[in-house]
Amino acid sequence: MQYQSQAVAKLYFTAAIGLFAGQILFGLILGLQYVVGDFLFPEIPFNVARMVHTNLLIVWILFGFMGAAYYLVPEEAERELHSPGLAVLMFWVFLVAGALTILGYLLVPYSGLAKMTGNDLLPTMGREFLEQPTITKIGIVIVALAFLYNIGMTILSGRKTVVNLVLLIGLAGLAVLFLFAFYNPDNLVEDKLYWWWVVHLWVEGVWELILGSILAFVLIKTTGVDREVIEKWLYVIIAMTLITGIIGTGHHYYWIGTPEYWQWWGSVFSALEPIPFFMMTVFAFNMVNRRRRNHLNKVAVLWALGTAVMAFLGAGVWGFLHTLSPVNYYTHGSQITAAHGHMAFYGAYAMIVLTIISYAMPMMRGRKAANSNRSQVLEMWSFWLMTVSMVFITLFLTGAGILQVYLQRYSDTPLPFMVVQEKIALFYWMREVAGVVFLAGLVLYIASFFVGSKDPEAAVEQAASPTA
Amino acid sequence: MNTDSRNRGRSCTLIYIVLMLLTLVTWVVGRLGLQGLPVTLSVLALALLKGQLIGDWFMGLRNVRGFWRWAILIWLAGVGVLVGVAFFFSSGLH
Amino acid sequence: MTRGGSLPETSRYPPGDLAVWIFILAELAVFAIFFAAYAFTRMQHVALFDQYQATLDRNAALFNTLALVTASYFVVRAVTAIREGRTASARNRLWAAVGMGGLFLLVKGMEYAHHLGEGIRLSTNAFYMFYLSLTFFHFMHVILGILVLMVLAMRTAAGHYSAQSHTDIESGASYWHMVDLVWLILFPLVYVMH
Repeated sequence: MQYQSQAVAKLYFTAAIGLFAGQILFGLILGLQYVVGDFLFPEIPFNVARMVHTNLLIVWILFGFMGAAYYLVPEEAERELHSPGLAVLMFWVFLVAGALTILGYLLVPYSGLAKMTGNDLLPTMGREFLEQPTITKIGIVIVALAFLYNIGMTILSGRKTVVNLVLLIGLAGLAVLFLFAFYNPDNLVEDKLYWWWVVHLWVEGVWELILGSILAFVLIKTTGVDREVIEKWLYVIIAMTLITGIIGTGHHYYWIGTPEYWQWWGSVFSALEPIPFFMMTVFAFNMVNRRRRNHLNKVAVLWALGTAVMAFLGAGVWGFLHTLSPVNYYTHGSQITAAHGHMAFYGAYAMIVLTIISYAMPMMRGRKAANSNRSQVLEMWSFWLMTVSMVFITLFLTGAGILQVYLQRYSDTPLPFMVVQEKIALFYWMREVAGVVFLAGLVLYIASFFVGSKDPEAAVEQAASPTA
Repeated sequence: MNTDSRNRGRSCTLIYIVLMLLTLVTWVVGRLGLQGLPVTLSVLALALLKGQLIGDWFMGLRNVRGFWRWAILIWLAGVGVLVGVAFFFSSGLH
Repeated sequence: MTRGGSLPETSRYPPGDLAVWIFILAELAVFAIFFAAYAFTRMQHVALFDQYQATLDRNAALFNTLALVTASYFVVRAVTAIREGRTASARNRLWAAVGMGGLFLLVKGMEYAHHLGEGIRLSTNAFYMFYLSLTFFHFMHVILGILVLMVLAMRTAAGHYSAQSHTDIESGASYWHMVDLVWLILFPLVYVMH
């Protein structure tokens, strides 16, 4: 760690991991409710569990992004953070607001929460992923503005690198697009149209810039490849992401009442969305192969490569599966979507946050470069357990989805929704088992922060011998 | 070195004139209102030829080995086959 | 440099940055899909496509094709110049290419004004949907290409490039040729072939 103020990232990363654990617990509850419908009813109904599962995901990823920014921006800008105090203050504001919101979901019926928080003054609640009470949304905007100010001032008065600028553009885009969460037109078509400007343009637009810049940063640090080379790749990947991702929003405009040309725009451009992810995979492996040194933190490199591969599979391949409008006609809103959502969020965004945590955390906890061998081996186990079980979750959901689409929508004698749900229950059970394995991986991950923390740091001779 | 690049410059000037002339041919075909599958496919073939001239001479792939030597040609062939097939099967569908 | 036969030395990679070339291939893939989509949709609506194709201004398209090819030629000459270290000449030729690109935008803009003035929109019919989508997507690429060439021209004038070091110019040139290449297919496909 070269700058004192980078240490604020530790708070953000710790919170991110905690919320991640919460997300997985609610995921398991939710997964069980698919097959045991009244599990934990009426304490935690299905819709609440789902809301908590998805909202926690978004919040912990945001904590991760902010932590990543606080860590890498000072190092790139070669100066201390503009205001570490503001960063700490905003951490607590965000954490308390997030915790209160989740408690609100769990303790108060949703309509009651809406009434309590004055939703009728400025109605913004009730839309998937944007369920937060209006007051929480305002809090998010304040936190985001303070965060951007802090990061922006640091970048503007320091060394300007491509990594920093791409990250700043991504974070600014994230904040600006969130403003559409406040726009809630009466017309349902328009409502959905702009809702996607938050949801789609986040995950298939600006978040990819954040992902790209964090990945580039970790690769620069761990491989020692020339910054110029990595920056060029970053430019090209970002350009392709924006070209395909922005117009690719059209793949959500097939069936909501928007004009017909979206069938074409959406299909053509989103069919190409895998390209930037593919480039990212080529990029990551290329840089690691051209490495000038074997970094001692091998598990961070593993996470970086894993991110590149899993993002391509989850976001690229599984997205492509159902993105063409003639296919999507049958598959939209089915378990195929859930399969894509799981692998894409894990592969792209959960893993990039875990990558930067894996790279940065050892140094913030007093190591020179890396954790002890024992700790790294444990973390690698957690990598494989979580990643492989996520692959299985995705495959089981894909199986469920294909069967669902066939029985419910494609066959000559379509069956009702709930009848089909009974028939695909086996897939849901298998998914739940894979989910338990994922939880085991997460437990090992958390354990890796404590196991071997007294051991000596992984050393050069041990690190250099096994690799070619 | 200098004569070499001057030669290349002269070749590119020639290619440029050919590209301009071929463009005029395409325009004249449109102007005369010529119709029919052979005309359509010829216009397509001319376009692909122009594309290959751009790739070889302007983009400089003429002096490249391996995959990149053929990258533009492969793309043109793909476009040519797809568009050609579509126009072939839609001829006479008036 | 061996010049025993007629073949000059070959290299494994095209001129310019490899990352830019991968980008070019990705862009070409987008256009290829769009071209194929146009041709196959036309199969369903041959009469409609032929009828509305006749409303396009083929003379404007001819002018624009000549403008783009000429711009590409200037770009080629700019690369030749910088390879010989003739900076001023490279800069002038890049600006000339920018000028040609500007003419393209002007003429295409007038075509759009004409069609929009007649109330034609993306939803008017399948032909106009493709005509507007394809040409506008290409239009955006011309704008990007012009911006790239302008930056290159200014950096050339500022002395950033030399006979030994000019990869950026080669990258930008390759990108511009791609924009030209796409239009050379687009012009016959949308304006002439029926």
